[in-house]
Amino acid sequence: MTVIACYSNKGGVGKTAAAVNLAYAFAEAGSRTLLCDLDPQGASSYYFRIKPSKKLKDESFFKDVKRFTDAIRASDYDNLDIVPSNMSFRDFDVFLARIKNSRSRLKKALKAGGRDYDTIILDCPPNISKLSENVFRAADCILLPAIPTTLSEHTFDQLITFFRENKLQRKKILAFFSMVQRTKKLHAETMERMKKQHPKRFLDPVIPFSSEVEKMGVHRAPVATFARTHEATKAYQDLYAHVAERL
Amino acid sequence: MTQTDYYYLPDKAAQKLLKGGVDKLNAIISGDDTRQEFRLLDTFDTELCRSGRLLFETGDRLDLETTSMGRHSQPVSRQYRFVDDLADGPVKLALQDVSKLRALLPIGAGERQETSVAFVDAEQKTRVRAHLSYLTSDQGGCIALVLLRGLRGYDKALEQVRRHILALGGRRVGDGDIYVPLFPQRQQYDAKPDIDIGRDEAAHEAANDIISTYLPIARANEPGIIADHDIEFLHDYRVALRKIRSVLSLFAGVYVEKTTIKLKERFSGLMSHTGQLRDLDVYLAEKEKFFRLLPRSLHSGLEPLFTSFEQQRKKEQETLKTYLESKEYKQEIDELTKIFSSRKKPKRGPKADLAALEYSRELIWKRYRKVCKIAAGIDDQTDDAEVHRLRIQCKKLRYLMEFFGPVFPGKQFLGVLRPLKKLQDNLGLFNDYSVQQDNLRALLDDLDRGPETEHLEIAQSVGALIVVLHGKQMEERNKVVESFKRFNDKTTRKTFRELFHVKKGTS
Repeated sequence: MTVIACYSNKGGVGKTAAAVNLAYAFAEAGSRTLLCDLDPQGASSYYFRIKPSKKLKDESFFKDVKRFTDAIRASDYDNLDIVPSNMSFRDFDVFLARIKNSRSRLKKALKAGGRDYDTIILDCPPNISKLSENVFRAADCILLPAIPTTLSEHTFDQLITFFRENKLQRKKILAFFSMVQRTKKLHAETMERMKKQHPKRFLDPVIPFSSEVEKMGVHRAPVATFARTHEATKAYQDLYAHVAERL
Repeated sequence: MTQTDYYYLPDKAAQKLLKGGVDKLNAIISGDDTRQEFRLLDTFDTELCRSGRLLFETGDRLDLETTSMGRHSQPVSRQYRFVDDLADGPVKLALQDVSKLRALLPIGAGERQETSVAFVDAEQKTRVRAHLSYLTSDQGGCIALVLLRGLRGYDKALEQVRRHILALGGRRVGDGDIYVPLFPQRQQYDAKPDIDIGRDEAAHEAANDIISTYLPIARANEPGIIADHDIEFLHDYRVALRKIRSVLSLFAGVYVEKTTIKLKERFSGLMSHTGQLRDLDVYLAEKEKFFRLLPRSLHSGLEPLFTSFEQQRKKEQETLKTYLESKEYKQEIDELTKIFSSRKKPKRGPKADLAALEYSRELIWKRYRKVCKIAAGIDDQTDDAEVHRLRIQCKKLRYLMEFFGPVFPGKQFLGVLRPLKKLQDNLGLFNDYSVQQDNLRALLDDLDRGPETEHLEIAQSVGALIVVLHGKQMEERNKVVESFKRFNDKTTRKTFRELFHVKKGTS
């Protein structure tokens, strides 16, 4: 069982799109995949047309294996199941504060509830919190989408500092550039600078800014299912190949 | 993680299911509607269908559809008649429990059209998947097979669809005979039908019912014996005739004596043509077992022996085939059928009017007492002939009990029938080993008449086989006293008394 966290401390960078499309790519490649929506907004559940979980509330996510497994829903695609989120997920930090050994709680929950799967992909909410610390410990790989802008550069540095200060394994972080606009000179320069600064942290594939990815909200499906030959689809497939190889 | 369910329903009901959906779920049809010709295969006694499996041969592919494990497929890479003839593959693997003695025969043919269906909710999320096959047979039958696939987390929706299918007149595959609506002209076959005998039914009627049920069963096997599909046709044919003969000999006084004797002769006459072929069938079917009984060094004598069995079998089969196709046979079996199917049944004997309950109690109690009496005289020193007598009486007791089963309360009745079967297993093996030795001895006597070259080798192997079989017979012989004790324990004695013994003056 490999756990991949799609994470960024900054919002709107294409985390959910990456989680959904990667989960689809893993499943399509034959890996039994569970996409776990940790974001109370439930965007990835929405993309798969799955309603918020009703019974997986409050601490039960971390404490009740049966409720966790009962909440799992099959997607419309082979090998791909989802744990949908709900609004109570916004209080994860409150529950975690109450629980002993709270930093490895997510890891335990996934190990018990996700034993049917080869790959677990976490779609994480954008912050650095108790939950994120759990994510960092539970994940074998932290996949971090970064828009090549100065603000992203800043949040990326913040995260690296956080890892260093908390003695977390920085090598778990695998970043990739997301929502890239080739025509923008700023994007090209930022990408070059960030790659130079963190040569081991960045993967080669680049996800372009694309209206097809935005249309996922209309189709409510992974981009590969409705735009098979589009460059965005190819980019996610490329990203999948690189991530799979690193693991 | 997922569960499969397999149903069949009239094609019109299936169209209703697709059009109307299920409660709030809509049915979305997808996938191609390819039409393919198929043959459905099964054993003559429809073992596959009864166990919830359907075997399709479509072009050069075999598809086995099951209620429990979904669909298995493999190419038809060679000629096959039995499961063992199939190339190794998922279909063969999933058919391992099917009788090795039964051939896979075409039940019927037709055209198949397949469609995939998703039952979706208001958000267009799939909650249940289904695979539909419309089958149209060349006999005009039309049904739809529905294979449901539940999705994780959507158990309620699956249950809804299940219930809806049943409400539309659907049935689970394996529940009832799917071949009936699909192949309306096909004759159904059941070698062990339930014959409903009422408690107050006259003994004469009961005997007529049993005989007129088993005659068509015997006859249904004629084409299979003639075509030599598999050896079970002859076996079932003989069992059916034997049941008829045992009614004639066990139901004393139901018909007038002269008629009984005549009928018994005529049925025995039919059976006399089948004995030798059946013996050879059994030897050949148990070939491997015989080889395992002897060390490798003695196998060389068995090979020519079995080759000669095969040649003899071929001849015997030809002879029986000729007989079954002869005017003489047709006339005889038609006449016998007529005797029991016409309104004018064989002449009533002195006990013809007794009620089945009263009559069967008397017969069974008498037979049971006889069994006990013989068994009481058997110890380690008793002559084998007595053990044979015990076996024959037990067999008669068992037949009687089975014929009249419907007259007695099920639980108590089965409670004594089961231990009786166990006792019979022991006695049956004792007899088989004994008969096999006799036959092998006869074979040794005949050996001189054949070519000399292989004589010595065959004689050595046969001699060794007789020794081994004798040892096995002794093993069974030594178990008899204990087996009988186990059968005739306190409970059995009590049950027999309660069910079958009528004190004088109380009936």
